[in-house]
This record gives sequence, structure tokens and C-alpha cells, in this order.
Amino acid sequence: MSASSTLKATWAGEVCRGLATLKIRDVVYVPDNPLSHVLHALGVDHPDIRTTIATREEEAFGIAAGLYLGGIRPAVMLQSSGLGNSINALASLDVAFEIPVLMLITMRGGDGEWNPTQQPMGRAVRPILDALGIPHVTIESDGGAESLVRHAGEQAFATHRPGACLLARKLWSPKAVS
Amino acid sequence: MMMTRLEATRRLIALLTDQPVVASLGHPAYDLFEAGDRPENFYTWGSMGLASSIGLGLAMAQPERRVVVLDGDGSLLMNLGSLATIATAAPPNLVVIVWDNELYGTTGGQPTATATGADLARAAQALGIPEVVTVREAKTFDKAVRRALADPGPWVIVAKVGESGVATKPPLDSPMIKRRFMAAIGSPE
Repeated sequence: MSASSTLKATWAGEVCRGLATLKIRDVVYVPDNPLSHVLHALGVDHPDIRTTIATREEEAFGIAAGLYLGGIRPAVMLQSSGLGNSINALASLDVAFEIPVLMLITMRGGDGEWNPTQQPMGRAVRPILDALGIPHVTIESDGGAESLVRHAGEQAFATHRPGACLLARKLWSPKAVS
Repeated sequence: MMMTRLEATRRLIALLTDQPVVASLGHPAYDLFEAGDRPENFYTWGSMGLASSIGLGLAMAQPERRVVVLDGDGSLLMNLGSLATIATAAPPNLVVIVWDNELYGTTGGQPTATATGADLARAAQALGIPEVVTVREAKTFDKAVRRALADPGPWVIVAKVGESGVATKPPLDSPMIKRRFMAAIGSPE
């Protein structure tokens, strides 16, 4: 991933338009390299959306739950590895209390992944979300990214449950096939 | 003389008006319910460690309200990074009260690290929290709470307390707790 591709990722602009359409005003995140595309697009096109870095993903879900209780629609951005750090927060706070949050998860693992330690958690993301009853969609191309984000968010906030958009590696990595 | 956590919680309730209170699961939540159930109370029941994070989000969403968190020493030790995030976001309206009884009261009284010298107030200071105070008795507790409810924070009040052994528990209907809480603090859903 080069610096220039970081600055001009079409999918990231689409994702951010989806967030803005949903009237999401706060994004809490733990950094991941591809998320820099989204953060750049937020900074340029949506300066009214506040971003907050958490030290750990489950903390991000706690902050997001507090934002929602206070009347703000939040999103949480994290790498797939961080979903493992967040499971009890999602289960016992978001799902149990019916507190919605839109999750944007940058995926690791799969074919073309160079780091073998990312494979097990990458494989586990969808089964974990299914086990928690959290709907998820996968964004694999620039086209339609905005509407996928919008639909996932509308469903989450209408049903008072978390919803996840999985961002496929091939959005930013030409070698990835998943 | 050292207060029990229930005595301190009763003193806190007496000093509050309509401020929202987020209580960590287990005994801090039981004592809050016993001391005074009110719609502005959010009893977490799960997600150990996240009370201060929930309080941070709430304080960011409603900067005009003073937000009070009731955490435990064991719970805060599970999420110390939260103090760094709170210091960075620096919401002046957030008050984190840490009930430090030096043990895991809800799970049978196993010792926490504060029993062997870990100092959560010094940790809060080191992580950048601007207003930190440790209190050990009723008079200084009341004084610290009064200041924290009036002066800009974020605040961390480490209150050294004894166990209270409360048996009553708040309602288990978590969606109801959420709806009641949001309605009380004027949040749309």
C-alpha cells in the first residue's frame, strides 16, 4: 500500500458517505493500516464527524455504548484481530442491552495473507458474529460500498443491535483474493 | 474511620440531583440500587472493566451534564488504558469514582493488586488525568465529590472503602434499564 493509494481510495470515500448519511457523529477506533484511508476521507470530507482512538477494541465498544446512551449514533472501526478483544463487550453490553453500533472491520487472513498469526482470527470473524446474532455484510469493491454501509447501519439502529461491515483485503491489497 | 462502599454510595446519592451514574457490575451496582434506585442509574450487569469507557462516551455525547462513574479497583485494573483515553479526550464533565476495597468483592474476596501496593491514583496521574484525589473517610469523600461535581475535570476519585455485603440487586431487564436511562437523560431512541 503506497501513500498515494492511501489518499485516493474510492471505497473509503464511499464508506464515509455512508456514515454521513446515517448521521453518525462519532467514530471510535483502534488503528489499522487500511483504516488510514477512511480516516483521511473523514478528515477531508466530513470534518464534523469526531474520531477518538481507544487503547483496545473492547474499550472502543464501551465508549460507543456511552455515546449511544447519550443520544449520538456511533461507529467503531477495528481490525479483524480486535474483534477477539471485543467479544464480551459486544455480548454483554451491546447485544444484551440492545445498544446499536455500526462496526467497520478491516479483514486480515485468507489467501494472500502474509502473516500466519492473522489466519485463525480472520477465519473466526464471521462465525463469532453469527454466534452473537450480529448481522454482517462484506464490502469487496468500490461500487456499492456506500449503500452497503447505509443498509447495515439502518438495520442496526432500527433493530437496536450491532451490525458489521467487513472490509475485504482486496479493497487495498491487489494480491488478496478475499 | 473507613466507610463501607454502601455508606459512601449513600453519601454520593445525597449529593446528586439528576446526574447520570454508570455503575460497574456486581457490588458497585448492587450498592447503587440499594442506596437509591433512580432512572439516571445505569447498572451494567456485564462487560467488566468498561464502566469508565461508557462514562467517557456519555460525557462526550452530553457535555452539558456531569457524568458519574462508579468503578471498582478490580474492574479498573482490567481497563487501565481507559484512563489514558479519558486523559486524551479530557471531558471536563466526567467524574470517575473508584471504590477501592483492595479485593474482588463480587467474586469472593480475592485480593486485587491494590492490596499489595498498586496505587490507582498515582496511575491516573501518570496517565494524564488532571484532577485526582484519594479519600479515606466520609468528610473528605463529600468534599471531593462536591468539588468534582462543580469544577472542571476529568476527575478520578479513589475512595478507600470496606465491603458492604449488600444482597439486593437491580432489575435484570437490561433493555428496560437502557430505555429508562435514555429517557431520563433526554436521549432519543
